[in-house]
Amino acid sequence: MAQLEITGLRQEFGRAGRTVVAIGGFDLAVEEGEFVALVGPSGCGKTTLLHLVAGFETPTAGTVVLDGAPIRRPGPDRGMLFQDFALFPWRSVIGNVTWGLEVRGLPRAERERIAERYLDLVGLAAFRDAYPSELSGGMKQRVALARVLAFEPRILLMDEPFGSLDAQTRELMQDELTEIWQRAPLGRKTVLFVTHDIDEAIYLADRVILFTARPGRLKRIVAIDLPRPRAATVRKSPEYTAYRNLIWDLLREEVLMSRAPSA
Amino acid sequence: MSRASSSAAGSAAAAPGSDRLWDSPLGRRLLGLGIWSLVVALWEWLTQSGNAPDYLVAPSAIVVTLARLAADGELWTHMAASLFRVAIGLSVGAVAGTLIGLLAGVNRAVELYFDPIISLTYPVPKIAILPILMAWFGIGDLSKIVIIITAVFYPTFINSYYGAKGVALSHLRAALNMGASPWRVFWRVVFPASLPQILTGLRIALALSFIVLFAAEMIGARSGLGYLIIVAENNLRFDIMYASLLTIGIIGLAADRGLLALRQRLLAGRPDAGSRR
Repeated sequence: MAQLEITGLRQEFGRAGRTVVAIGGFDLAVEEGEFVALVGPSGCGKTTLLHLVAGFETPTAGTVVLDGAPIRRPGPDRGMLFQDFALFPWRSVIGNVTWGLEVRGLPRAERERIAERYLDLVGLAAFRDAYPSELSGGMKQRVALARVLAFEPRILLMDEPFGSLDAQTRELMQDELTEIWQRAPLGRKTVLFVTHDIDEAIYLADRVILFTARPGRLKRIVAIDLPRPRAATVRKSPEYTAYRNLIWDLLREEVLMSRAPSA
Repeated sequence: MSRASSSAAGSAAAAPGSDRLWDSPLGRRLLGLGIWSLVVALWEWLTQSGNAPDYLVAPSAIVVTLARLAADGELWTHMAASLFRVAIGLSVGAVAGTLIGLLAGVNRAVELYFDPIISLTYPVPKIAILPILMAWFGIGDLSKIVIIITAVFYPTFINSYYGAKGVALSHLRAALNMGASPWRVFWRVVFPASLPQILTGLRIALALSFIVLFAAEMIGARSGLGYLIIVAENNLRFDIMYASLLTIGIIGLAADRGLLALRQRLLAGRPDAGSRR
């Protein structure tokens, strides 16, 4: 059995008196240790899918099962990274990373020891006492990553985590995430990664899940058969370009269809 | 950085040392002090020269009266009475207003319950209910404390309500994601996230509590600085009236500065702290 099993998932919203179908029947199985990117036209429900896995929303129909147990509410077995980082501005960097450990009731010394280890992992040990407002966007997302890793979730949910960063920082962060993810202490945790950036999806993921336009359904799964460990040079390979063209064409169909006047 | 260099460039162009002092923060402060000293000196001269009416008491005479009131203990008795009422009324009213405001900001049922009550009673001048409160609670401390509680409830409720409403959804989700209980989310996310606005409400509440207290003491009380003013008026003791007003002003200033210092301490390092004023 796969670690994460999504079956018959359907999500509807009531908006201004009419029903909007965000996800219209979705099935997906994700194996442990897999890096899966969710890609699709805007409004296709990929973020909604992530929120359903996180437990922030309850599905209209269908189930999300993690390690054999159906998901009913949010919990620390699923670590979420947000596009706006969601760091607490009233807490220092270390205070943010220890937040989740306080929930678990760990003693102070142990909290700080764990937090420092993960700050070290993301290269921000020197900034432990800084406040989020003093950090750049890339650094903030690294703090958020340390905060999530510190409470040791079984899978990671990332909602366009690099979407608000400039192009150069974004590429650096992709390299760094690949690095951290491939490295031993993390043991290649399962990742669901929402993005609208095709390059990001191919570079990071083992499989790219393409959504149809709203209502979001599974359009195609593209397995990315690029060797690991990956480094920035892989972006220049012909295989990479082939994946890029394939996904781009598939996505284009959907964008055009979503723009066409509905019959 | 750029400001410092541009002002340096400006002074280099002008004659050296000409417009430097009153352009600096210290200079501006000295200038302000100088103008006020001048006003007080003029006031003093006007009253000493015998050209002023009775109700304009010389600043020196006010200070002498204040010293005499302090020496014979009368000032402290009334000040203590006023401060006691403010301390109790402000803390009870502010804690209640803040807590219920935060709860209304996060809970729809609490919000729906309080919203019509607040809308109905907010525009009523709180001093207008003093006769009723005095009928209920007497002429002593309790009626004053209750009217302060009523007055400070609104600004603390409204500010913390909007503070809680404005908490970023991703902050709430991040906390839930880390397994926090609703209670922990309330105290460890909603409360600190709303703190800048809570403190803004507290500052308005502080000013309001003074306004309402002294007004109430002037209408019906047997002690307090507001009562002292009314007694002085009945005896045509203008010097005591000015001395009481000066005391009220000094207490107000000290309390407000104290609150600002507390705000700076609590919000250190926060980009959302807002202006310090």
